Amino acid sequence: MEFTVSKSELVRELSLSQGVVEKKTTIPILSNVLLEAAEDRVTLTATDLELGIRCSCPARVKKEGSGTVPARKLLEFVRLLPEGDVNMKFLENHWASITCGRSRTRIAGMSRESFPELPATPESIAEIPVKTLASMITRTSFAISMEESRFTLNGALLVMRPEGLTMVATDGHRLAFVQATPEASGTVDQQFRALVPKKAMNELVKLADDAGPDEKALFSGDENHLFFQVGHRLLMTRKLTGNFPDYERVLPKDHALSAKLLKDEIKSAIERVAQFADERSHAIRVQFLSGEVRIFSSSVEMGESEESVLSEYTGPDLEIGFNAQYLLDFLRAIPQDHISFELKDQKSAGELRPAGEGITDQYRYVVMPMRI
Amino acid sequence: MKTYFHLDMDAFFVSVEELFDPSLKGKPVVVGGRPNERGVVSAASYAARKFGVHSAMPLRTAYKMCPKAIFVDGHPERYREYSEKVFETLRGFSPLVEMASIDEAYLDMTGTERLHGPPLRAAHLLHQRIKEVTHLNCSIGIATSRLVAKISSDQAKPNGVLWVIPGSETAYLAPLDVRKVPGVGKVTEKNLHAVGIRKVGDLARLEESFLGERFGKWGLALAGKSRGLDAGGWFDTEIGAEEGPKSISHEHTFNEDTAGVPQLESTLSRLCEMVGRRLREHGLHARTIQLKLRYSDFSTITRAHSVARATQIDTEIFEEIRNLFRANWRAGWPVRLLGVHVSGWAEGGEQMDLLGEDRHQKWSRTLAAADRLRDRFGEKAVSLAASMRGNFKERTHENPAGLPGKRPKADR
Repeated sequence: MEFTVSKSELVRELSLSQGVVEKKTTIPILSNVLLEAAEDRVTLTATDLELGIRCSCPARVKKEGSGTVPARKLLEFVRLLPEGDVNMKFLENHWASITCGRSRTRIAGMSRESFPELPATPESIAEIPVKTLASMITRTSFAISMEESRFTLNGALLVMRPEGLTMVATDGHRLAFVQATPEASGTVDQQFRALVPKKAMNELVKLADDAGPDEKALFSGDENHLFFQVGHRLLMTRKLTGNFPDYERVLPKDHALSAKLLKDEIKSAIERVAQFADERSHAIRVQFLSGEVRIFSSSVEMGESEESVLSEYTGPDLEIGFNAQYLLDFLRAIPQDHISFELKDQKSAGELRPAGEGITDQYRYVVMPMRI
Repeated sequence: MKTYFHLDMDAFFVSVEELFDPSLKGKPVVVGGRPNERGVVSAASYAARKFGVHSAMPLRTAYKMCPKAIFVDGHPERYREYSEKVFETLRGFSPLVEMASIDEAYLDMTGTERLHGPPLRAAHLLHQRIKEVTHLNCSIGIATSRLVAKISSDQAKPNGVLWVIPGSETAYLAPLDVRKVPGVGKVTEKNLHAVGIRKVGDLARLEESFLGERFGKWGLALAGKSRGLDAGGWFDTEIGAEEGPKSISHEHTFNEDTAGVPQLESTLSRLCEMVGRRLREHGLHARTIQLKLRYSDFSTITRAHSVARATQIDTEIFEEIRNLFRANWRAGWPVRLLGVHVSGWAEGGEQMDLLGEDRHQKWSRTLAAADRLRDRFGEKAVSLAASMRGNFKERTHENPAGLPGKRPKADR
């Protein structure tokens, strides 16, 4: 195999594979990227067996063929080359020779025989605007559980319905729910429901960042996998198995009390006060009083802090404990200037939502309090 | 200057048994179980001690030494009841009381002279009062440090009172064997003998720096102890300023090794209940849950897991323990001992769950009710159904659940 490719294009596509290749793998070939040259393109494939990515860029193919080389080393090296054309040629012993300007390099590769095949992509069942997808992911992925043993919570639930796309994530303490409008959801041919692993969501956001504003993701799924085709790039992931909790039961039906707040005010206040919260539990006390919300923290070792922000709140005085980090995750994820904090009592879930005008989709963030 | 009492009940478990069965009086009695059982001696009467029987010795060894001894099962609920009586009596003498175990307590008597008179008189009154209330004998040591008070109560046995006059501590301790110093066990004794230290006086004569170099921090504490000062471990804290446990654990050795899953899991369930009870008693929530498993050949494994939400709920602990057990037990291998160990206390707020919070709250309330039942009717009053097969009898223990003065803290 031999081809010539623009350095910058190769770097761009290679970068996308880095999030997929395993850093510490017991199977050496999974650290490699598969390069395939055919017609006038070179295709790059990387996988960790859970997640796979395939992208390509134009190339002048002198001889068709394929081979694998360590993905990280290849990127690190190619990045340092001067702008211009890079020539790559696989040798008999699976090594690859790279020539660029006055640089002559041979990089140790492995036979492509042992590189796993990605499953075939089934026919697409939906076309989703990638920006919609990315914005849903960034507003839910932080709520995914980090605990590996709770494997059904290690991803988000994606539901496709005519009413629009829904994405839900929870770690058992808080839950983030986004429902896009039908217009922003693209075209959906059939109802679909799947658990998307967190790692795949991160990679999808990267693909979206690199895509045009109106670009669509062609979505499809088979029994075990999900496929997202964005332009000439394909991301495929194994589905998480298991039952996602019944989130509709968790979403509060109504709230007796509501406090309207300016997002930046409450966010900065919590950030400062949280400096003196217990480092492990991040517990803060939030007092809802007539016309204001007060936040308190105290830690035996470090000290204590208190701050007050103005709020439209007319309910009875109420004090509730919360994990400051959970509140900040929400406040950092939204672009809007106003929020509403809805409550019932000390022992029931509170709900945060963006407030104000121009909000089209539904974003609900439910947080369980702490006992303090 | 401080005045401390150390009150130690004389042969506590045996004496309580004698109250219920006066025919035992004066005879060699061993409390802890049947002579052919596994397990150890919890207590021995003075008559049995003459044959060399002492607590912590295997029951079978005790039987070999003193075949005529009367072996009785312990009655933990009786001992708790009497311990409670002792505690209440002590509380009447000083507000600063710390039960060090079920049958001994430290009292800070500093500043009570106007109420109770000089130390010896106060001790005499206390001694009488304990006898009136419990019909049991005790011994009391009085000193300016808890360490010397403890040593002197031991010297005062049986049924005596000993006051080490302030200023004479070093002279009093000097002729005693180093082993008499609390905290000096077999190993330390051997190490000290190796460098020619046999008496506490030998220790006191040494440079502190020598002990520090040779035995580290522990050596420095030892130097202080040899001069009658409170130092090292528990002795660094004040009475009443309770530090609380760093971990809580319960273990069970089977009478016969078993590979029966129902019995093993049921035993684990029972151990989890015991651990949960202690957690609630101390008002603690544990984050790390550990299983201990010893096979017939004494090979032992421990496996731990940290839970997202710190817990004091028996069923939640059991769920983790059972997972650890199922994942780590080599199926079919007979097990000699099982243990459940929890640690890593959660501080500063407990995060509630979105899912299953109702269940959690229900268990909290249920277990609080179960604890009240146990307080009134004994530890076996209620149990989880899962523990029924594992309902082994509670070993008589110096630091059982329900130790007086360690009542459950108010629910947060």
